[in-house]
Amino acid sequence: MNIRCAKPEDLMTMQHCNLLCLPENYQMKYYFYHGLTWPQLSYVAEDDKGSIVGYVLAKMEEPEPNEESRHGHITSLAVKRSYRRLGLAQKLMNQASQAMVECFNAQYVSLHVRKSNRAALNLYTNSLKFKIIEVEPKYYADGEDAYAMRRDLGEFASEDRTKSKNAGDEETSGGDKASHRSGGHGHGHSHNHSGHDGHCC
Amino acid sequence: MPSNDPLPPKEGALFRKLLKCYELKQYKNGLKLAKQILSNPKYMEHGETLAMKGLTLNGLGRREEAYKYVRLGLRNDLRSHVCWHVYGLLQRSDKKYDEAIKCYRNALKWEKDNLQILKDLSLLQIQMRDLEGYKETRHHLFTLRPSQQASWIGFAMSYHLVRDYDMANNILETFSQSQNSIEAHDYRHSELLLYQNQILIESERLQQALDHLIKYEPQIVDKLAVRETMGDLYIKLQQQEKAVPIFESLIRRNPENVLYYEQYLAARQLTDPSAVVAAYRVFQEQYPRALCPRRLPLNVASGSEFRIVADEYLRRGLRKGIPPLFVNVRTLHQKSEKATTIEELALQYFENLTRSGHFSREDADAGVPVEPASALVWTALFLAQHYDYMRDTDRALEYINVAIDHTPTLIELLITKGRIFKHAGDPVEAYVWLEEAQSMDTADRYINSKCAKYMLRANMVSEAEEICAKFTREGVSAMDNLNEMQCMWFQTECALAYQRMGRWGESLKKCHEVERHFAEIVEDQFDFHTYCMRKMTLRAYVGLLRLEDVLRQHPFYFKAAKCAIEVYIRLYDKPLKSEATIEEIDIENLPPSELKKLRSKQRKAKKKAELESAQAAQAQVKREQHQKSKQQANQETDPDAPQLDELVADKLERTDDPLEKAIDFLKPLQQLAKERIETHLLAFEVYYRKNKLLLMLQSIQRARAVNPSHPELHSCIIRFMKSLAATIKQQPLNDHVQQVLDKATKELIGNRTPQQLNDEFIAKHNASILHLYEGARSLYELDHSKRAAAIKLVTSFNLSKMTLEEAIKVYTALRDGDVFGECDSEAAAYQQACHERFQYARVFRNVEELEAQLQEKEAAKLRAEEEQQQLNHINFSSSEQVSDSVTAAAAS
Repeated sequence: MNIRCAKPEDLMTMQHCNLLCLPENYQMKYYFYHGLTWPQLSYVAEDDKGSIVGYVLAKMEEPEPNEESRHGHITSLAVKRSYRRLGLAQKLMNQASQAMVECFNAQYVSLHVRKSNRAALNLYTNSLKFKIIEVEPKYYADGEDAYAMRRDLGEFASEDRTKSKNAGDEETSGGDKASHRSGGHGHGHSHNHSGHDGHCC
Repeated sequence: MPSNDPLPPKEGALFRKLLKCYELKQYKNGLKLAKQILSNPKYMEHGETLAMKGLTLNGLGRREEAYKYVRLGLRNDLRSHVCWHVYGLLQRSDKKYDEAIKCYRNALKWEKDNLQILKDLSLLQIQMRDLEGYKETRHHLFTLRPSQQASWIGFAMSYHLVRDYDMANNILETFSQSQNSIEAHDYRHSELLLYQNQILIESERLQQALDHLIKYEPQIVDKLAVRETMGDLYIKLQQQEKAVPIFESLIRRNPENVLYYEQYLAARQLTDPSAVVAAYRVFQEQYPRALCPRRLPLNVASGSEFRIVADEYLRRGLRKGIPPLFVNVRTLHQKSEKATTIEELALQYFENLTRSGHFSREDADAGVPVEPASALVWTALFLAQHYDYMRDTDRALEYINVAIDHTPTLIELLITKGRIFKHAGDPVEAYVWLEEAQSMDTADRYINSKCAKYMLRANMVSEAEEICAKFTREGVSAMDNLNEMQCMWFQTECALAYQRMGRWGESLKKCHEVERHFAEIVEDQFDFHTYCMRKMTLRAYVGLLRLEDVLRQHPFYFKAAKCAIEVYIRLYDKPLKSEATIEEIDIENLPPSELKKLRSKQRKAKKKAELESAQAAQAQVKREQHQKSKQQANQETDPDAPQLDELVADKLERTDDPLEKAIDFLKPLQQLAKERIETHLLAFEVYYRKNKLLLMLQSIQRARAVNPSHPELHSCIIRFMKSLAATIKQQPLNDHVQQVLDKATKELIGNRTPQQLNDEFIAKHNASILHLYEGARSLYELDHSKRAAAIKLVTSFNLSKMTLEEAIKVYTALRDGDVFGECDSEAAAYQQACHERFQYARVFRNVEELEAQLQEKEAAKLRAEEEQQQLNHINFSSSEQVSDSVTAAAAS
């Protein structure tokens, strides 16, 4: 297994991995948008042959109205079923979070998860210390509600973190799968552009 | 805006309003304004107004009228840069970039310093990779606006892209010195510094790059990039000792990065395997949860040391129950010595776990606590995967069945069982197991996708679509949704399934869909040319440009293109008859029972086809509605991309020039997949049919450069010689061509005749069935009277030394009769022999046997259901706890 920052040439394989694993899919342009706006934030996990078996696709959001600082957001996270139970999802998330703090001064990272996705919920709450902020009714295209979750990134702020934090890959007891909003609606472009700054696409 | 045909103040003001409306996308208002100007008889033919009217119409999606008015306007005012610019914009929105570039150039003739036109031109130039032109335009823009940051960046980048690193670096250096106040934590500034550093590295100025990095480190926010690059530079500059702490800290940050360990070892200049393993052991202790320091030693260790590290690694994985344990050691199997050790260890675990619950007798004797009961299941799974990899189907099934008996609810086991059948050549049985697995976790799309893939391998396209539909958007057919989402694996597998079924048009349709995704992805870069300059993510942007240059190198493209080329070749060899005559098969020689079967099959097929076409018609209606609403939604926004022709299977398979169509798919492969010999072999097949001697020769030479001993190359050479002789016989060749051919054939076969060459080839390669196959094929090709000998050559080869794939290749050649002519009896005998050797492979079984098997399966299913019902009344067995913990562990 090898975990590294995603390069432009990884984006197509990330899309492939996403289509295999998750119901929320995006066209290539949306992956390019992530990779070319925040090149440091997305990570991939690859096997010995160099095929991508998991990824995290992440971005930055503009500050909320009552906030001053920006925060990161996880657009999509998936690990192929055949590579689960290695703690890859958690490791991917931690690398992305570190980069959010370093490159963009993120204070926290947010994400959405299906209410029914217990495995992902378990990963986020127990292993990654995310907190549920609110329920977003009918967030997903199929009508399912989402939990909006947040993780404070203060622990990543000091540059020399303790060893245990760095290698702090506590075992994941759940799976490594998290679903995020489906594009699905609108014309032609089935990716979700909510929150993106409109300069592109 | 100066014009050669100026309007008076009133109309001039209207025209400026018209421009404004276009910018604001108020197309309807724009049209009204244009009408106002044009309604004045004096300005009825005012070129720029007519052109703008056209452009506005284009905004409303009325493309044909748009062209009409823009061209009319241009004709009336050929010296107006506005008209030319407008024509360029129209062509650009129609994706005719080459034409648009010409228009912009004409516009600049009349208005050479127009910023907007220059910017638009530069975008098209970079999109079309006219790098020299781009450089000129960026230079021009720079001289016009030297105070703007974007001018500097574009100027520098244009030199970088033509590999003039010094110039690019000088521009950036000058620019950065003109920057006086730099804010703390300035991301864009930081990206620019790293971009400049990349240029220095690409120009091989490593010391300069290192100095630059050290100097600016405090201003760079991307600490990871700084450390990775700095560490690498220290190693390359022979200052290894300085790289060691850098890679130590990088490993601390991310202990799962293989490159960091490699760099660390390089920095410490450790090469001795035992020393490397020892270094990894230190990291194991430092990062007990990390995978890399445990797995990587397995690559370097050998002999008894390998046994020790493999033993530790496997025990840990089996104890914890990690499903990917086998896939993570699969690459080690390439070394047979390591594969043997792994097999021995796993067998030892299995034996001892069964006997005492320990991994070894030593553990048992030492009174070590017993392993978790699930360890046995995982060991059995591991052995099944191992034997499957070794293509020992019987043993693989033996172990997977042990595991399934132990824990019937563990989905991974069912998937593995399916995979074993797939590898053994039974795609139907394989899919049955995947479907079972899928039914046990319907919320997981991964298993759903795998199930669909296995269905497609069993040629069950509509079933696959149905299963996929569980995860595609409601209200749209799964096929359409998967196409919209650019789901290429699915489309490629569909294409291959249709190809196997001889549904050529459907297959081509899927291949073309994949090709269109690639065209779209190339198109996608357009918006990023300006976007990335603004965001300053220049390293990523250059990465994008380089990726797009070789995009069709991607395996997805290769697979689809290969399929399309093969289908087009097939359609050239055996063109389809008109619809009506297809049904007429040679039925005279069939016995009545067979005839009856055939008739009933035909009836069923017809019914199915009718049903499908009715469904397709419905889907078509839906699609059109969807398109319409899409267009309506787009009315007031950007003009949509030009509508591509709909792909219609019937039309695709009845093309007039299949070989030209094949070449469309071939060209990108020849350019980007040169290193794959299949590219050149496919090219040969196309040019052979077009009787293009020089191109055949070129394909052969390119293939030889990749692998001179590839078996198929031989029959290419033989067929090339044959074509050459036949062509010369008809009419002498041009002297120059003849010279080239003479020289090349001399190099290829010397003074031998094709027959001699073939005899030598057969004698030389008598131990390789794939070579003998090509030899036999050529033997028959050169002399049809040698048919029996040719067939004997391949069928007498020892089957126990052949792989399943090789046997299928020989058998299908005999069965289909297109390599050795009709040879049904030989094919039947060979099928029987193959069946004995590869008992699971479906292709070697006869129909009756398959039907009997199907019935048996149905009955077994019924029995199992009854048993299950009875079981439900009894209390759970004692194995409950084990199976629960295992499923919980594997659950997603």
